[in-house]
Amino acid sequence: MTFLPFAHALAARQDLPIPAWLFAWGASIVLIVSFFALSIAWREPRFEKENWRPLRQGLSRVLLHWVTQGLCGLFGVFLLGVSVYAGLRGTEAPDRNFALTFIFVTVWLGVPVLSVVLGDVFRPFNPWRAIGRVAGAGFTALARQRPAHLAYPEALGRWPAAVGLVAFVWLEVVYGASGGVAVGLSPDTAAVAALIYSGYTLTMMALFGTERWCETGEVFSVYFGMFARLGSLDVRKGSLGVRRPFSAATHWATVPGSAAVVIASIATTSFDGAQEGAFQGAIESAFDRLVDAGLGLTAALRLTDTIFILLTFAGVAVVYMIGVRGMASVKGAPPLKTLRTGFAHTLIPIALAYLVAHYFSLFVFQEQAQFTYLLSDPLGTGSTDLFGTASGGIDFTALSANAIWYVQVGALVVGHVVGLTLAHDRATALWGDYRMAARSQYWMLAVMVTFTCFGLYLLSVANG
Amino acid sequence: MRSNVVRVLIGIALLVAAIVLLVVLKDTDNGTSDSGAGSGGSAAERSGQTSGSGAGAKEGAPEAPTIVIRNGKPVGGVAELTYSAGDQIRFKVESDVTDEIHVHGYDLMKDVEAGGSVSFDFPATIEGVFEGELENRGVEILELRVNP
Repeated sequence: MTFLPFAHALAARQDLPIPAWLFAWGASIVLIVSFFALSIAWREPRFEKENWRPLRQGLSRVLLHWVTQGLCGLFGVFLLGVSVYAGLRGTEAPDRNFALTFIFVTVWLGVPVLSVVLGDVFRPFNPWRAIGRVAGAGFTALARQRPAHLAYPEALGRWPAAVGLVAFVWLEVVYGASGGVAVGLSPDTAAVAALIYSGYTLTMMALFGTERWCETGEVFSVYFGMFARLGSLDVRKGSLGVRRPFSAATHWATVPGSAAVVIASIATTSFDGAQEGAFQGAIESAFDRLVDAGLGLTAALRLTDTIFILLTFAGVAVVYMIGVRGMASVKGAPPLKTLRTGFAHTLIPIALAYLVAHYFSLFVFQEQAQFTYLLSDPLGTGSTDLFGTASGGIDFTALSANAIWYVQVGALVVGHVVGLTLAHDRATALWGDYRMAARSQYWMLAVMVTFTCFGLYLLSVANG
Repeated sequence: MRSNVVRVLIGIALLVAAIVLLVVLKDTDNGTSDSGAGSGGSAAERSGQTSGSGAGAKEGAPEAPTIVIRNGKPVGGVAELTYSAGDQIRFKVESDVTDEIHVHGYDLMKDVEAGGSVSFDFPATIEGVFEGELENRGVEILELRVNP
């Protein structure tokens, strides 16, 4: 028999699977809520218009002042620098090195939630955007003309970000896993990857323009920006304002490749949740076969996981496309292409719910490390204590298994409701006839129930 | 418009009722005294719950399981031990290699000599799933489950 190593270098503790009774209750609530949602169906779209209005000018003036923005950018560059330095020079123990927890937990898992609450917070702190803007301003001052950029191919849309998103998660959960020895991604590898990504991003910014690349190409801007669309706070016309919640999401997916971004988000989280539970048997048998075929342990594991991550992406895409095809069969339906892009944004809340459900406990525990020993001893050398918190640690009793289960199920149910709401709203906008719009939504209801119950299922067989 | 508001209120009431039921049922499960509150679903839930804690109780009983390490790997695969919070966790590791045994989460480390053995005995204070490994080899030997 072959031993599959565990994939999570950072997680010293994993969640217990949700018990059968909670699974049943979660699924029942989802069904009740869904049928109830059908019954309150409104007839006019409510989220298509944002109704943005500015907040008090004082706050805007302070937050959007170039000094504030400059300081934010500088801080972002500083944090990127610390991460790369810690990764290259610090300990190779993944859990003691600042780089891994900061990149893969604090930023990757924390910023999406923060973006919903506070708006697109990543934008001012984005280190590559900050560098790109300074470089652009420098060029303009020296050459006395604005840099001439290439036209970004519109058809490419958000595809670079979708590919980058899969690559980023692949780096963590597939490349980081290795045969035989139980180590995750090494901090050194993460730092090198960050440098390569920085080089690539800055090149693209030079070619297409900083802001242009951030809109559709830069992985983190696109990913965090997607979640920010769910929230109310937004900067527009040089001032901070509020809009109707969820309304900005409704025209997020008009750019090509957007559906791929949100599907990638759901798929990568699903894969990470399933690899040690629902998919474990299948992964092990494929892995054994590749090893028998003469592949090395590490190569076989990476290949197997890569295949499964792509299959998961395909699976999520197929479920969504079945929903789209189904809607197309309802009388008065707009063209398939309109439907395909028209409902992609309804998956954003599902993506967020998956993220919260799968990583809530990891986030809470790792943040304790982030703000104690990783903050005071970023290199993990054991000899530095910058803020006097180096001896702190993670209190694993901070969350009970019950608390985690309720957050997990709660996140999935709320995500489901918001997704359904957005889908119904879009249908009323696309179908002239209200009753046909409602009928088309049986299909999206099926899609949402599938995703939510699949999410619950993944939680119920975690670490199976 | 008005009828919509009423429907929303009914829906919210339904949800609240469902959540209250959920919490109540869950509590009776843990208490195991009250059996009247359950609806159709509760029988299945209760049986699931009992079998889980039953296994935990057996694990905590006199015989401490032994994990045998041969050629640096656990015989019979990764040992799965299940407990309930508050139990005393006891197990023994017999190893034919020199290494350090690390129980994650609880963060316990004990050295073991080749041909020797080492015993663990600690209270189950943290709920969750934890790995135990041969630290230097990075080989998982134990999966520890602590149910609430």
